[in-house]
Amino acid sequence: MSVLKQLCLIFAICLGSECISAVLPFTLPASVISMVILLLLLLVKAVKPAQLKEVSDFMLGNMALFFIPVVSGVIRYKDVLFANFWAIILICVLTTPLVFFVTGHVVQLTVRLMKKKEGKQHD
Amino acid sequence: MIEAFLSSPMFGLALSIGTYLLGKAIQNKVKHTLANPLVIGAAFTIAVLAVFKIPYENYAKGADVINWMLGPVTALLALGIYNQRKTLKEYFIPVLVGCVAGACTSIFSILALCKAFGVDKAVTAAMMPKSCTTPIAVSIAESHGGLAAIAATCVAVAGITGALCAPMFSKWFGIKDPMAQGLATGACSHALGTATAREMGEVQGAMSSIAIGVCGMISVVISLFMTV
Repeated sequence: MSVLKQLCLIFAICLGSECISAVLPFTLPASVISMVILLLLLLVKAVKPAQLKEVSDFMLGNMALFFIPVVSGVIRYKDVLFANFWAIILICVLTTPLVFFVTGHVVQLTVRLMKKKEGKQHD
Repeated sequence: MIEAFLSSPMFGLALSIGTYLLGKAIQNKVKHTLANPLVIGAAFTIAVLAVFKIPYENYAKGADVINWMLGPVTALLALGIYNQRKTLKEYFIPVLVGCVAGACTSIFSILALCKAFGVDKAVTAAMMPKSCTTPIAVSIAESHGGLAAIAATCVAVAGITGALCAPMFSKWFGIKDPMAQGLATGACSHALGTATAREMGEVQGAMSSIAIGVCGMISVVISLFMTV
């Protein structure tokens, strides 16, 4: 696919997703719907990853660029940010290791339980 | 002339791309987790706007064009999930159980702490998805009335924390299984953490990138049932 075709396909998927998002009775973000649609198109082989190569290499390879405007937008909310500054910092510092701890141990426990079960089946 | 300079959409475009390239150049030179193109790019952009007292609206004229691309970028995350489909199938149960646990822990602990500290609604909704990858976090935050800018900032902070501390966390918390290390890193610190996970090992890197997609999807589903 030419770069223009790739862009057109991705924009069309995003446009369709925005329409779906608008009619859904609950708030599912359009961008997430578009991700699901593209994943389904890939899984049913309607689209091959190689067909999106140029655009996906560019966009995923420079993903950070697309977030600079959003993050810079924080300048508009400095009052909100400073008003909640310590709470935000504390929440970030506490929850990140907590998520790591829980996820890590749950996975280790699951793997152990699965091995145990497998062992029993072999007995 | 200054008027023409600032009112052109080219200003926001050039500033965003310029600071991003500067961030990338610094990253190549310093090679440290903190030297991240997004962090450096945003810091320089904010600095330019603040120092020259340029209203955000002038910057937004061009920056919005880049912002519109967030949807397509999120759609393309599907490729990452698709490329990992074999590993995902093989370790489906531990991945799913781990990511559900991680996403639930993240969302519920943030909501509880925000309530405890009396954080306002717009910030709580913005913080709720902070363990997710930026495009998904911004979508979740906005659909709950959260400020996208605060969401993206918190995502970056979580990512940097995870990227810097993942090897230490593994040691302190006794996470020895490589798969568990990778999933835990991806679950708490998305793409930034994945860079560190790749340094920890091949399994860790693959599992971390799987966790980005799976945790993102699970967080979207959980957040459907949440009211902030």
